[in-house]
Amino acid sequence: MENNGHNARCGALLTTLILFGAIVAFGQRALIEGKVTLPKPQVSVAPPPRYAGQIGEIAPADPPEAVVYLEGSFPASDTNFSPSANQVRQNGMQFRPALLPIRVGTKVSFPNEDDFYHNVFSYSKSKRFDLGRYRREDKPATQLFDKPGVVKMYCDIHQHMRGIILVLDTPYFTRTTNGVYRLQDLPAGHYLLKAWVNETHVYERPVELKPAEQLHVDFDAK
Amino acid sequence: MNASSIALALVFLATNVQGQEWLDTVDETLSLKSRNGLFRSDLTGLVDLEGYYVDQRPPGLLFDDESFFNYRTTFFLDTSFGPHLYSFVQARLDRGFDPGESDFEARLDEYLLRWTPWDDSRLNLQFGKFATVVGNWVQRHDSWQNPLITAPMPYDTMTVISADYPAATPARFLARRGKADLKSDWRPVIWGPVYATGWGAFGTLGKFDYAFDLKNAALSSSPYDWKLNDSLWQYPTVSGRLGFRPSPAWSHGASFSVGPYLSPDAGVYLPPGQSIRDYDQITLDYDVSYAWHRWQFWGEVFLSRFQVPNDGNADVITYYLEAKYKITAGLFAAVRWNQQVFGTVNNGAGGQEGWGNDVYRIDLALGYRFTRHLQAKIQYSLNHRDALLQQGEQLVAAQVTLRF
Repeated sequence: MENNGHNARCGALLTTLILFGAIVAFGQRALIEGKVTLPKPQVSVAPPPRYAGQIGEIAPADPPEAVVYLEGSFPASDTNFSPSANQVRQNGMQFRPALLPIRVGTKVSFPNEDDFYHNVFSYSKSKRFDLGRYRREDKPATQLFDKPGVVKMYCDIHQHMRGIILVLDTPYFTRTTNGVYRLQDLPAGHYLLKAWVNETHVYERPVELKPAEQLHVDFDAK
Repeated sequence: MNASSIALALVFLATNVQGQEWLDTVDETLSLKSRNGLFRSDLTGLVDLEGYYVDQRPPGLLFDDESFFNYRTTFFLDTSFGPHLYSFVQARLDRGFDPGESDFEARLDEYLLRWTPWDDSRLNLQFGKFATVVGNWVQRHDSWQNPLITAPMPYDTMTVISADYPAATPARFLARRGKADLKSDWRPVIWGPVYATGWGAFGTLGKFDYAFDLKNAALSSSPYDWKLNDSLWQYPTVSGRLGFRPSPAWSHGASFSVGPYLSPDAGVYLPPGQSIRDYDQITLDYDVSYAWHRWQFWGEVFLSRFQVPNDGNADVITYYLEAKYKITAGLFAAVRWNQQVFGTVNNGAGGQEGWGNDVYRIDLALGYRFTRHLQAKIQYSLNHRDALLQQGEQLVAAQVTLRF
């Protein structure tokens, strides 16, 4: 009985210490913020349909965006995650968002918000799929992205539609629509900070993060 | 370098990672845009390599006498001058408009200038040389979008109607049924996409769309008749289509076309006092399409009447039903059932006889899209005429298409 009470006290103490350690460690997480220079938005008129009977009004595409993420070996506790729901909508004959960062193992659904069909597909090496024709009333098709890489999306019906899903093998990433970014709760260590603007503009900077450090890193994409 | 070497080189180029990236870059490079976005010009294209194996004289609009290799390079230039003015040019280098017709040709198949007065698509007016508004095949007739290699039967299967040499008597007209197709002389119900020259108007109003055109050649006219000539004013053909889309899945259309189909050279064979204006091709067409997830279906039925000199009205019904199924992200299968049934005409001996040999055809195809730039298809067709003389009873065709 006495031994049991001692063990219980030891267990409680250990748990308290672990929790305290975790709180301290959390409090010492680092942060990186800065700015990515984005390309100027292009006012572009998509070609009209060549033949009579082809329908739909094309809305303007979203302005350029960027994804900033941290690459490296992270503590095991950081790599566990519960996948969140993600969507790539088809709206106004555009993919929205046109650039979606997700973590490996995430499912993405593709709701059609237009009054006509879309047919999303990708022949990218890391993910090859063709959803077929879906309308607004249908339950959106979903896809699991289980390999890292750049997945280029298109529509089989509307050739001007372009979108990208960036499948990342890191829990630390963010998407910026105005160039300003902030990555927080980062573990201390040596990493590679990357800014993905488009396939030809990917910038990287090695960073060394110390506990509770705040770094400022700008990426000039000129 | 032979055809198979070229095909293999295309496959290597388009499936290789660097090759794909290069083709993606080409996509972007061949697009010119002004800074304010008002001017935009896109050059795109298709390179087709085809092989046709036939067990006898080729069916449809295949012109060579036996099995043959065919190539085709098509350039498309889409140019927008602001939101209201658009031009389109389609230029081709090939072995003739239809496979195997010649050794080499370079042509402008389509060119048009379009004015869209309003910001929406309620009205578009265009002039030039462009595809017919009749039916629903035109929108998917290029090699990338057509799930099979050949066209549906109404668009490629000859009747014994001649635009240049009308028969002098009913007996001579009916005697043509026993001959092999005279492809340089006879006419199908509708010759492919009919890139004739003229004016057009089309638009969309909610779930309805409409299209009309005034062209210089009939639906059955050959590509040689489609060029800019005096026929636009002397012997015009009027065509139109009304479309209805009750839902994204369904589309219905009803088309008509009326106009003289005889060539000016046929005037000497006409009865005294008659002109080629007195002999029309009158066509009605109903088209339908349905799509759901991995399935797509199309169907069309044409009822066409040729007013035949020295005989009377020659009617024909021709239709097809087509289905495509995407088996995987790249692999697809397609099947098409086609039939052409001829009416009767005066046989000159007090009776009535069918003026053509009824025919059915089944087309089966399997295709694979390796990448966004490369596709390969193989097709088998079984064609049967209700006659002793067959026209290409079996056809095996293969096609590799590179898109940029």
